[in-house]
Amino acid sequence: MFPKLDPLLHSELRLAVMSILAGVDEADFTYLKKQTGATSGNLSVQIDKLTAAGYITVEKGFKGKMPRTTCKITPAGQEAFSKYVEALKEYLSAGK
Amino acid sequence: MEQNKEMTAQESLQLISNTFNNSRKEILRGSAKYFMLWGALLTVTSLVVYLLWHFTTKPQWNFLWFAMPAIGYPLAALIGKHNKAIPQSEVSKMLSGVWSVFGAFAITLSAIAIFLVPMRVSLIIVIMMGLAECMSGVLLKNWPFIIGGFLLGVGGAVFAMLVMGDAQLLIFTLGGVLLLVTGCIMKLQYK
Repeated sequence: MFPKLDPLLHSELRLAVMSILAGVDEADFTYLKKQTGATSGNLSVQIDKLTAAGYITVEKGFKGKMPRTTCKITPAGQEAFSKYVEALKEYLSAGK
Repeated sequence: MEQNKEMTAQESLQLISNTFNNSRKEILRGSAKYFMLWGALLTVTSLVVYLLWHFTTKPQWNFLWFAMPAIGYPLAALIGKHNKAIPQSEVSKMLSGVWSVFGAFAITLSAIAIFLVPMRVSLIIVIMMGLAECMSGVLLKNWPFIIGGFLLGVGGAVFAMLVMGDAQLLIFTLGGVLLLVTGCIMKLQYK
């Protein structure tokens, strides 16, 4: 019996965002946009979904006079991401 | 990038791996700038102090070393401002930590050696510098940096014991070139 893949993470853009955030302390919205190549609107929607699931936290503030949105993965997000990767590995090893 | 694209397990793992690697490369490219900055400053400062000491025979020119952090830290802050959107990873934080600790030891020991207790500060600093370069190599999993740092630390220590006076400074010129080369390799490697 294979573990079910987390539907929230099994989406290209959300998975890319989680992959970036899993390797850093926190990341700016502009950095995520540049790394994923997504549009601002699309990225905002996906970030909202990850935030609602408790996988990431979003902090809005200012750096100097410029508005800054910072995203950070939560412990629940780290766990979900690890489980997702483990599940993928199981799928792949079963397919060999 | 689409949010609803159906992905296979293979594609998902590939996406994770690619995204993670691209992000890692961008972060380490940001760290490379600091290696290049401090490498260039160390090379120039050591050469200037060496030449002035050599041709005037006045060791007081060593006070010029304190100009290095005075110039370097504002420039490093400027690079940090330019890189503000680039996040910190565990590796970039550890690299920054290793070299900050080295800087704090080097500046404090130099000041103590000049004003309080005379000591062979070149010997101590070159060993610490080799160690910091070695540790950077370990963090980046880069054997040339590990070997370069080891040779700088051990070779520099022997050189500092055998050679006296202004010529000792040339080991720091070599150290500066090593940092500069490390930065250039990182910039190219993580392109």
